[in-house]
Amino acid sequence: MTVCENIRQQLAARFPGIEERVKIPRPRRIFVEAAADEFRKIFEFAINELGFNHLCTITGLDERVNFSLIYHLAKENGVLLNIKISVSHDAPQADSIIGYFPGAEIYERELVDLFGIQIKGLPEGLRYPLADDWPKDEYPLRKDWKPKTAQAQEGK
Amino acid sequence: MRDSHKFKIPIGPQHPALKEPEGFSVALRGEKILGVDIRLGYNHRGIEKAAEERTYIQSLYIIERICGICSHSHSTCFAQAVEEIAALEVPKRALYIRTVIGELERVHSHLLWLGVAGHEIGFDTLLMYSWRDREIVMDILALLTGNRVNYGINTYGGVKRDISPEQAQEVLKGVDILEERTKYYIEIATQEVTVIQRLSGVGVLSREDAIRLDTVGPTARASGVARDVRKDDPYSAYSEVPFNVITDDHCDVYGRTVVRLKELMEAYKIIRYVLKNMPEGPIAIKAPRKIPAGEALGRYEAPRGEDVHYVKANGTEKPERVKVRAPTLANLQAVKHMLKDRYLADMPIVIAAIDPCFSCTDRMISIDYSGSDKSEAIKWEALRSYGIEWYRGKGIDFSKLNKEFSRRAIS
Amino acid sequence: MKTIDRVINWSRLKSPWIIHFNTGACNGCDIEIIAALAPRYDLERLGILLKGTPRHADVLVCSGPVTKQTEDRLVRIYEQMPQPKFVVAVGTCACSGGVFQGCYNVKSGINAVIPVSVFIPGCPASPKAILDGVIKLLASLEMKEEKE
Repeated sequence: MTVCENIRQQLAARFPGIEERVKIPRPRRIFVEAAADEFRKIFEFAINELGFNHLCTITGLDERVNFSLIYHLAKENGVLLNIKISVSHDAPQADSIIGYFPGAEIYERELVDLFGIQIKGLPEGLRYPLADDWPKDEYPLRKDWKPKTAQAQEGK
Repeated sequence: MRDSHKFKIPIGPQHPALKEPEGFSVALRGEKILGVDIRLGYNHRGIEKAAEERTYIQSLYIIERICGICSHSHSTCFAQAVEEIAALEVPKRALYIRTVIGELERVHSHLLWLGVAGHEIGFDTLLMYSWRDREIVMDILALLTGNRVNYGINTYGGVKRDISPEQAQEVLKGVDILEERTKYYIEIATQEVTVIQRLSGVGVLSREDAIRLDTVGPTARASGVARDVRKDDPYSAYSEVPFNVITDDHCDVYGRTVVRLKELMEAYKIIRYVLKNMPEGPIAIKAPRKIPAGEALGRYEAPRGEDVHYVKANGTEKPERVKVRAPTLANLQAVKHMLKDRYLADMPIVIAAIDPCFSCTDRMISIDYSGSDKSEAIKWEALRSYGIEWYRGKGIDFSKLNKEFSRRAIS
Repeated sequence: MKTIDRVINWSRLKSPWIIHFNTGACNGCDIEIIAALAPRYDLERLGILLKGTPRHADVLVCSGPVTKQTEDRLVRIYEQMPQPKFVVAVGTCACSGGVFQGCYNVKSGINAVIPVSVFIPGCPASPKAILDGVIKLLASLEMKEEKE
């Protein structure tokens, strides 16, 4: 059994019903679609019991009907576990994971700046990556945001 | 800072309307750092958004220019992700060529770093020597790819240029010379007392902290964390090439220096092996203009550490989403930790030791004196001079070494 | 005043002092600028010195397409340089924005913000091209002096 298959089995044993939402497209790559309310348990399972100790990054996606966040976790044998959750488009929010990975702070700030996703539990701090005088409510990575609009509004 | 050391005052009159975009904010008590805040975003150009509005081929050119020092890393990482989605089997010869260019890039980057690190501590002849030697690898890269920087060698499905036997000979000649020079630099690093004293115990990062803070690359490996994408999650030709992952247990800037120097030696070995065992065959297969729907992660061991690209395709000729996490971003958390409770004089070399984007050196530093209302803004150059003078006061001085090395002739 | 101008111009020709500023570039041009100062190309033999402060500089050597965050600082550095001053835009991004033209956080070229005297294209501009550009700038100063 491959390493990824092993992980899929462990996930299936712990979280009934998750098996069909686990995809293994190639060696060392696992993609899991998690419901927002089961995310924390799966995340903790991955870190505490499956040995994933490195957060590569968090990817935000605007899928038009909703926003998605993919947490990319890695471990020594090179396996990447990618856990994806979806949040509503109207009031997008997620909980911070800096309690598990302090380094997540910068990736979460990116989600705030570029998508307008609220991250609960993120402390006060310098924004990233946009400038301080970037206009409010302009989220560049949203699909309906166009660069020229923002430039026209700034009068540049 | 309040004693006799002098340094430059903030440039120009302070306009209340124009805010200085500080790069670093330091809270200082006496000479010790209480905390550092790092402001980023100077280089934010909006590449991820731009990729969504460009075709895959256009995106490849823009991705390559995320960073001029590790452009091949970004380009290969991105191409790998796209090729995975499109189920393209890249020919072996192309993978081998990508590996050679990748290792040559590591060589130029580490030599560049060596010079910059030397400059930060006042060892300026090291800057001149290493950048002079670096020209050998720049020549090789220009020979193989047509450009010194931003090689443009990748295309989806392979590479655009082959390596002829004559070119391979030139590469091997250059590598021989560089290996001799690198041995000399290793000697300097491991035997010159001034260097050892200056770099030891500075920027300390324990193994546990390196893991906890998601450190990558030579910064992590110098704290004994054997993380290297080439071994853990092989790509290009690395699953077929014998090489060692270099780690060190010093957990400080000295360790990071040693790791990079030894990685240079490994790079020469890898380049020789790959050129000697280059398989015959095509250098590319044709790639479709439209990439079928799917997602994939490219992962690459850039000179500074793990580079990750997430790509989502939607069946058109433009990407749906491109997410890039360059290695420096991952290592910046560790820098804040390394600087806490340390001397301000250590700041330049500690930051330089994670090998950040070069443009960091243009940053302003704002310093808050804890316990008083005083605060000031200084330039990086001023902080660098302060560090050099501070250590001179402690008896660690590179003026002698600089003179000595300018006189020595290494052939 | 004329005589003083000629003396200043002459010393500027013999030893222009430069300040370097990166306005959000990928660092490709920046490392080629430094390579131009390193032993092989050695701009210093032309008397060119890299200075840390705009107050002592004659020439501002700029790379990058000017991101939003760097724009104000670029203007301030330019304003703090004494007259006469010259700006060299190094690299295609500095000339026109390069591949980043149209990107939302980018101004698309140095001359959208401050006047540029010399444009050195290239991605990146090679040290040879940089040398060529700087020499052309010095030559044009020389010609200016001869005219006067």
